[in-house]
Amino acid sequence: MRLLLLLLAIVISTPVRAETIAITNARLMDGDRDEPGMTIVLKDERILSVSRGGPIPSGARIVDAAGRPVTPSLAAAATQIGIVGIGSAEDTRDEAVTSGPAGAGFDISRAVDANDLTIQEARAQGLASAMIYPDAGNGVFAGKGAMLHLVPGRDPVSMADAAMFAAPSGKKAGGSRAAAWTLIRNGLTEARRPASPANGPRDDLLDPLDIEALRPVAAGRIPLAITANRESDIRQAIALAKDYGIRVVVVGGAEAWRVASALASSRIPVIIDPLDDLPFSYDAVGARRDNAAILAKAGVPIAFMVSAQGIYLSYDVGPALREGAGIAVANGLSRGEALRAITTAPSQVWTGRPPSGLVAGAAADLVVWDGDPLEPSSAPSRVFIAGREVSPVTRQTLLRDRYHPSRSGDALPPAYR
Amino acid sequence: MRVPFRQIAVCLTLAATVGRLDAQEQVLRPQPMPDAPASEYRPLPRQDTLLVGATILDGAGGRLIGDVLVRDGKIVSVGQFPEAQNVTRIDATGRWITPGLIDVHTHYGTFLLPQGGSREDFSDVTENSGPNAADSWVEYAVRSSDPAFAYALAGGVTTAQILPGSAVIISGRSVVVHTIPSPTLAQMRFPDAPQGLKMACGTNAVEQSSFPTSRQGQIAGLRRALREGQEYIQAQSGAVDGKGKGRRRGGDGGPGNPRAATIAGAIEGKLPVHLHCYRADDIANWIAVLQEYGIKRITVHHAAEAYKIAPLLAKKGICAAVWPDWWGFKRDAEDGIPENAAFLDAAGACTMMHSDIPVLGSLLNIEAAKAAAAGRRAGLDVPPEKAIRWITSNPARSLGLEDRLGTIAPGMNADLVLWSGDPFSVLSKPDLVFIDGAIAYDRANKSRQPTSDFEVGRPQRERVE
Repeated sequence: MRLLLLLLAIVISTPVRAETIAITNARLMDGDRDEPGMTIVLKDERILSVSRGGPIPSGARIVDAAGRPVTPSLAAAATQIGIVGIGSAEDTRDEAVTSGPAGAGFDISRAVDANDLTIQEARAQGLASAMIYPDAGNGVFAGKGAMLHLVPGRDPVSMADAAMFAAPSGKKAGGSRAAAWTLIRNGLTEARRPASPANGPRDDLLDPLDIEALRPVAAGRIPLAITANRESDIRQAIALAKDYGIRVVVVGGAEAWRVASALASSRIPVIIDPLDDLPFSYDAVGARRDNAAILAKAGVPIAFMVSAQGIYLSYDVGPALREGAGIAVANGLSRGEALRAITTAPSQVWTGRPPSGLVAGAAADLVVWDGDPLEPSSAPSRVFIAGREVSPVTRQTLLRDRYHPSRSGDALPPAYR
Repeated sequence: MRVPFRQIAVCLTLAATVGRLDAQEQVLRPQPMPDAPASEYRPLPRQDTLLVGATILDGAGGRLIGDVLVRDGKIVSVGQFPEAQNVTRIDATGRWITPGLIDVHTHYGTFLLPQGGSREDFSDVTENSGPNAADSWVEYAVRSSDPAFAYALAGGVTTAQILPGSAVIISGRSVVVHTIPSPTLAQMRFPDAPQGLKMACGTNAVEQSSFPTSRQGQIAGLRRALREGQEYIQAQSGAVDGKGKGRRRGGDGGPGNPRAATIAGAIEGKLPVHLHCYRADDIANWIAVLQEYGIKRITVHHAAEAYKIAPLLAKKGICAAVWPDWWGFKRDAEDGIPENAAFLDAAGACTMMHSDIPVLGSLLNIEAAKAAAAGRRAGLDVPPEKAIRWITSNPARSLGLEDRLGTIAPGMNADLVLWSGDPFSVLSKPDLVFIDGAIAYDRANKSRQPTSDFEVGRPQRERVE
């Protein structure tokens, strides 16, 4: 029995042995790189080699990219795949807590549904990684986001407790955003105090669950994501990062372009929606489509999310991100920066580690495209996650096939197809 | 001047230009309602213009390289005009020209930007005190200086329909406008454009505790309203022939009932019907009842499952407005697919994109690009000259404006977009947008870029250092 368990443990801990795959004749696009005629070999979940026409291990399955673009797989810097399914069906939604005691301690990773269609679809659309985030619910701290890695057949959560999300919203703090900032600051202060039995419940505003959740933020181990669009809030976020010596990521950032140099000198990344240009709220009156270009030029680290009033937060994340990146390019951002913002930049923003991209040793997450990846009318032709080819079949493609015009003469109704 | 046009059946005009209208029933160009308010719109100052050497997508299914000659706000001709005199020449070589884009589904001015303040401050979408608000006109709620209008214009949209919402089964009359922000709605109103009548099936229009509480209740409510409309028509004809035939004093369909008058207008073809409806089964039910009462000009909006009944819609001459990639946000929309538009088009149905939200209102060309590409990947032939109809001539037909808008042909209104490149590329932008031959937007000239009053003097919008 013990031996059996041991064997089982070995099986579980060993990486899935995927076949060795050589992608040939690839036009490698990775940030500013754009190199035709490349061969990329994938083995054991990682990229074994990247070379011009280079060596192909014997036994490797050859995938001829036929000159098509190959990029690192897409990454969503802030999304809600796997935690919001059908918007109107409560049993498919877990993104926020609006009553009960959970606040900063709300850990969204425990709600992720690997079978949710949003994950199936995102994968087929070339998305391999994502930060999923909780919406503001009970108070100024929305809870903890999680990083996903969408390897088929595996738990998609690759890093729980990856960031703390906070909203400096007056609504969440009794009526004034000033109070929200006070509460955010207080949370960090309380999380700095050593845990002591001498601290009774009345000494802290937050409960022990929240304080524990905030400790890694206060210690600088994980970032505090502040959802804010208004310039004044972004300036408050910069001041907070400085005063507490913590890592801050601004999410939203419609008016971040107005604060570009301060963000750059504080090295605070901003996750923006490149489709934003309308004064959608009073906090976003300064929204404009060259936000990304201005921030990048100033040296602010950027990554993208695309919402369109929430429509693309769970569904069609892949094409929406590429549309956003394309719009950013149309408004002055370089192609390399735009591609980074939807591939390698999100993990850098959240983990602080520089992105690896398509180099030997990196995770074998990549996509062969049927056209320019920054055109939303393009689509993946092959998707590889952790070295394995991902099925292009989704519920949507099966419905497509059921009702394809070529089937209109079938004797049996669609239910039999 | 336009009166003769009004007698022409749509099938004839479109068969000549589009050549693919498969509706079996002829749908007459809507006569405006007798109580429709007059437009106070005036074209902007304009010059006769020759756009030279562009790739032209004519909106009727054609694609050519050539010139477009515009005089007195109308398209004179398309071809080569090296000899044209007294015109402003614009070198359009390497650029693309399309008809001005038409958005059949917006809530501009009534789902007002910014969406701050109380709900009453920014949302006047539906009068929902009862299931039948046919006597309410959304135009009375429109904030005509909504910032969203100018963004749509900069995205190439020259004509937009503002629809009431979907919270009740019959939510009243729509209004069709040009996208130039103005102090009053009347100054934006498209001259002589029919109003539309908005209806809604399904989840949004089901009430918790008042009629209708179910889908079957909705159909009952629809029939009730349609009967009122029929009675109104009978009463009117009785009044005209002097015999009082069909007149029921005090009845629901009596001449004093403005709800019945509006429904009658839809039955008589004066008000195109715009039906919010996602599911194929719901769509089929509603159009069967509407057609039973003689209503022919119907556009189904948000028709996520229209592809499941594409041949039916084509056969009945029903238009469908769809998105390329919205689904899953509610149960009615679970089965949306990106190939929806292409499947409808392949069946011969009148197909179009629509925005619904202002973010997409300036990206209609990209919406069409995504839908067309999905169709091509499914093996269908959807070249740019075909897909452009989804945002030009087909929505013109939906609005009853196909004799003036949506195609680049002699005599049509000179509503045009000069694109920096292929309009289906995310990298292209409108360089110039013409409405009635006048430059309404010029990307290179700040003084020809309208902005809303709202945006004036806001420090957040000013450049920093």
